[in-house]
Amino acid sequence: MEQLAQVFNIGLLQNTLRTATPVILAAMGGLLTEQAGIMNIGMDGMILMGAFVAVAFSYACASASMGVLMAVLIGILVGIFFAIFVVKLKSDEFIIGMALNTFAGGLTVYLLRSIFGVKGTFSDAGIVSLPTVHLDFLDGIPVLGPLLNDNSIFVYITWVLVFLTWLFLYRTPYGFWLRAAGEHPESLETAGISAQKMKLIASIMCGVFCGFAGAHLSLGYLTMFSEGMSNSRGFIAFACVIFGMANPPKVFLAALLFGFLQALGLRLQNVGVPADITSIIPYLATILMLVYVVVAGDRKKKNKAKKELKNIN
Amino acid sequence: MNKLTTAFQKNRSYLTALFLSIVTALILGAILMLITGYNPLAGYAAMLKGVFGNSRVFGNTLAKMLTLCLTGLAMAVCSKAGMFNVGGEGQLFLGGLAATMVGVCLEGISPIIAVPLAFLSAAAVGGFYAWIPAMLKVKLNVSEVITTIMLNSVAIYLCTYLTNSGGPLLTDDRGVLGGTEAVPDPFMFSQLIPRSNLSTAIIYSAAIAFICWYVMKKTTMGLEMKITGENSRFAFFSGLKKDKIMVLAMVASGAICGLVGMFEVYGYQQRFMDSISNEFYYDGMLVAMIMNYNPLGIIIMSFFFAVVDIGAGAMELSIGISGELSDIIFAIIIFLMAAEGGITKFLNERKARKEAQK
Repeated sequence: MEQLAQVFNIGLLQNTLRTATPVILAAMGGLLTEQAGIMNIGMDGMILMGAFVAVAFSYACASASMGVLMAVLIGILVGIFFAIFVVKLKSDEFIIGMALNTFAGGLTVYLLRSIFGVKGTFSDAGIVSLPTVHLDFLDGIPVLGPLLNDNSIFVYITWVLVFLTWLFLYRTPYGFWLRAAGEHPESLETAGISAQKMKLIASIMCGVFCGFAGAHLSLGYLTMFSEGMSNSRGFIAFACVIFGMANPPKVFLAALLFGFLQALGLRLQNVGVPADITSIIPYLATILMLVYVVVAGDRKKKNKAKKELKNIN
Repeated sequence: MNKLTTAFQKNRSYLTALFLSIVTALILGAILMLITGYNPLAGYAAMLKGVFGNSRVFGNTLAKMLTLCLTGLAMAVCSKAGMFNVGGEGQLFLGGLAATMVGVCLEGISPIIAVPLAFLSAAAVGGFYAWIPAMLKVKLNVSEVITTIMLNSVAIYLCTYLTNSGGPLLTDDRGVLGGTEAVPDPFMFSQLIPRSNLSTAIIYSAAIAFICWYVMKKTTMGLEMKITGENSRFAFFSGLKKDKIMVLAMVASGAICGLVGMFEVYGYQQRFMDSISNEFYYDGMLVAMIMNYNPLGIIIMSFFFAVVDIGAGAMELSIGISGELSDIIFAIIIFLMAAEGGITKFLNERKARKEAQK
């Protein structure tokens, strides 16, 4: 009983919010490219580059906002780079995505070694982390107070961004065109709007979101950069996009579920479950999630078809 | 020889592009070294010395080539059938662990029985671990790219747990920090070049590579795989059992990866440790992608990759330039090849359009 209380407490929910945030951010970017009809498995590399640049500039300029700004900038550049290959030159998305991940992994470690002279991990008191937010009026409230207070600023920004992404996709003409670029590029072209341009925009926005995710990872969630610290989060974000059918609120919930599972793993370590075993949970859960969404989708389709058949008869 | 020249002429533009890409990537690597304050000439010299300096390092390079070649072929086998196995790393880990445990448990038995059993277990475990995502893809249409990546992490964490302090398979030997019990000496492959990593695994690898090439290029099975990969609808209407072919290709890919894991242990490491592979499969994937999944090309290209990879490691030790430079160079080659393909397509389209207007 005591052990159970050690696992399931307010800390679990706090950890959920913290671990889910980078995945939510990357997944928001991923759903934009997914809606625009691009299979983007290069997100892991995009996050990694964002994380590195954020730490490097936070350290060099002694300013966290400078770190975030540069992470966004590199996100834009990588987004354009990705789009040139995938959209303009029509290269294989899978190959470019994988090459981008390798490139990011290699470049960040190389620069880590040659600029900071360390191998593996760079943590220094000179890295300025992102501020946390404290809202006084939440102080008195029992559960929500400790849960929603004193989080890194990106936790809150993320919620706003999820809403903005939804607003953009479903309430603006640009969002409409972007979705059309993925679903019916020919119709979009007929309407006089370039599908390639919309794909480029989606790719750049994905880069920006991944830049945010990386900056949060290295300046908010932790205050350091370590080799391969994205740790397949880009792929998990991609799985969340599929699980949430590229719909912002649904993807958000999928990422939260992932965060919950990872937090659960962290908590289980406190009661003596080996860390390597608990680390497996989110990856295994991702596979189960994917299987579930496909099976459920099939059943829905079948039921719908049956109903329609009945109506005809 | 005549055949070879015709093959060369047929692919001349491709090979020229490849050569130029490699040269450009090496130049870009040199520029990166310059920017970060190193002398690129010294860097590349250290690289060459680290590969051709003496027989030991050259043996290591050849051993590395075998690994890359087999992982590259594993990628090619499934990609030809339209499946993307990104999970080779996990299959390699589990296959290696299975073969090691078979070897450890059969201590005292004749190697003639034990070693083939180790082969079987490595291939079976690797194959099974690839069978899971293959079935999910074929039966439920779950993207194998994501499931295999996730299964990688699952396998690696599992092996890390099993073979480190607190894990059930940790060795009792004193002075060993992590890893399983050692495979008994009589089971180990014999060394071809003293003190290097090169062992008789080269013979088995050559056999596997030959089988891959033969099946893919010379048999109906290979043709069926190709048809399935290029146009699965056409394959379906031609009466091919495309699901079966896809699963089989994936299992074969996993089995090869499992064997690579076994070769790492039986070739020189002797114990299974969680450091058995440092993303070997991803490098193999890059080789396969650059060579368009062509088996013969993969065999040749893996030598170049091995030179850069082992050379970069030596460079890191001797003059302190990070060995990750190799990954950067590989990725740049892929980007350049992709760009070249795209630009050629773009130019051809424009030419065709102009001619159509005439």
